[in-house]
Amino acid sequence: MNTRIKKTIKRVFFYLTIALVLAWVLMPFFWMVSGSFKSTLEIQASDIKTPGQEPTWIPRRPTLENYLTVNKVVKIADYFKNSVIISLGTMIFCLIIAVLAGYSISRFKFPGRHPYTVAVLSTQMFPGILFLIPYAVMFIGVTRFTGIPMRDTYWGMIFTYTSFALPFSIWMLRGYFNTIPREIDEQAQIDGCNKIGALFRVIIPLAKPGLIAVGIYGFMMAWGEILFASVLTGKDTTTLAIGILRYITTQENRWGGMMAACVLTSLPVLAFFTLLQKHMISGLTAGALKE
Amino acid sequence: MKNTRSMLSSISTVMGNIRRYRIAYYLLIPALILMLLVHFIPMIWGITISFLDFDVHTINDWSKATFIGIDNYINGLNPITTIGERFLRSLWNVTFYAIVVLSLGYLIAMGVALLLNRKFKGRIIVRGLILLPYIIPDTVAFAVWRFMFQSRIGIVNKYLLDWGWIKEPTLWLIGDKSIYAVMIASIWKGWPFTCLMLLAGLQSIPDDLYDAARIDGASAWQQFKSITFPLLIPVTTVLLLLSTIWTFYAFNQFYVMLGSDPGYQADVPSTLILREAFTSLHYGIGSAMSVILMLIMIVFSILYIKRIKPGEEIV
Repeated sequence: MNTRIKKTIKRVFFYLTIALVLAWVLMPFFWMVSGSFKSTLEIQASDIKTPGQEPTWIPRRPTLENYLTVNKVVKIADYFKNSVIISLGTMIFCLIIAVLAGYSISRFKFPGRHPYTVAVLSTQMFPGILFLIPYAVMFIGVTRFTGIPMRDTYWGMIFTYTSFALPFSIWMLRGYFNTIPREIDEQAQIDGCNKIGALFRVIIPLAKPGLIAVGIYGFMMAWGEILFASVLTGKDTTTLAIGILRYITTQENRWGGMMAACVLTSLPVLAFFTLLQKHMISGLTAGALKE
Repeated sequence: MKNTRSMLSSISTVMGNIRRYRIAYYLLIPALILMLLVHFIPMIWGITISFLDFDVHTINDWSKATFIGIDNYINGLNPITTIGERFLRSLWNVTFYAIVVLSLGYLIAMGVALLLNRKFKGRIIVRGLILLPYIIPDTVAFAVWRFMFQSRIGIVNKYLLDWGWIKEPTLWLIGDKSIYAVMIASIWKGWPFTCLMLLAGLQSIPDDLYDAARIDGASAWQQFKSITFPLLIPVTTVLLLLSTIWTFYAFNQFYVMLGSDPGYQADVPSTLILREAFTSLHYGIGSAMSVILMLIMIVFSILYIKRIKPGEEIV
């Protein structure tokens, strides 16, 4: 009897802790969604000191106003388009280049492989701000000497982000390729493929989970990057990560609009996550810190 | 003569290797070019700029920038000048921030990982949900926290007032409290990743170790102390090294929650350097300060790269 009570108490305590953790994790999401359905007036008029006017979890008078006017002052639809183009571009280029490089270091014991791998990883250790300064100066220089616009162009951003996503992607794909037995390529070669043929016909189909994980990683990196976007994008290429901040200006705080934009920005990411959670989690744990 | 011959033979070995592994090198070329252009050349160029008098006048003609030795470093670190004082303060701020965020984040992550390592109904769903903070974009997460920390209309102050912890609405995002607001938001955003890694580590610990310990009458705490934690040390080390480096370069959370100038009490190197380079247009000093930041982190970086031993698992 005693042990049964003890067990029940333990159980209740366990689930309470889990509930507490979930509350802490989900609270900001509720606040975001609820804020996106509150009218500007309700948010502006709320005051924690005035009884009856306190900010609430449930909107007092839910409205779609923020979603309908989300594009009115801040051109969030343009930013959305820019982010989609830049993120998809990054995803595609990163996948192609990382597959080639990852295959190379996974399958060939060429001299220089080890220093190359260390160099790839060491890029993760630089502060972004260190190469942002010379990089921005280089953008200016390239445009001056060749006339090719770099700053505030889609391809300039795709170029930049592809390179950012590469080290981790190469590392992750190398890990996936290493798990595919070499006998499989050898078999393919016996069947008449050359090494490149083996990569495309045999290895890539087998490494599909890895490719999905890397693709999503590249997309999300570009979708959320702030530091370089804050300097290198301009009126034609502003991404969502920067654009969202424009709802708050010195003149006006459009919290409702900002929350609606936040919901819209999170949707693609959440969709990826729900559909492909398994690949993403395995990619994260396999690639990031494999010992 | 002998030397020449051995040199020639080593050159021919290198050439032979290049020919033999031609395909391998071809496959690497795109990645190599991109990383040279975006990472390595700018890094070398950045270190060069840190020794030049590089500002708005010389940006259009690089040859006019004069070599000024370590003046930029002296300016950046001199506590008497405004910028030097702020830089030193920003280094202190980020150290304090890193210690709090990493240690609390790790404790939460470890606690939750231990809970999630048990089998219970809905475990997969809970694991998915706790990852949400980690996967949403930084801007979204920190914009929402900025809203929550508003003094008059925010939910944080409402609860603090309800619970009687404060009498007047606290100003969270201005002044000396702002760094704590950013810490709370950053812990919220960062711990799920640590938790996921620790959970992967926990699941690789064989059950029979615990069975044996239980037979010997070890309590839960003793099991944790002598089995779980020691076996998680490798994961922990890599995690802490990596997150220390990333935390010291922190930018997004400060920029989104507090703006491009977070103020003296919450300024961190990345925000300060960004303003120094792109608002004040002192590229030289900005570069010198980033080099200093990188040098501080170099010990952690070398330890990290040594840890993951890239050569070993190549088949």
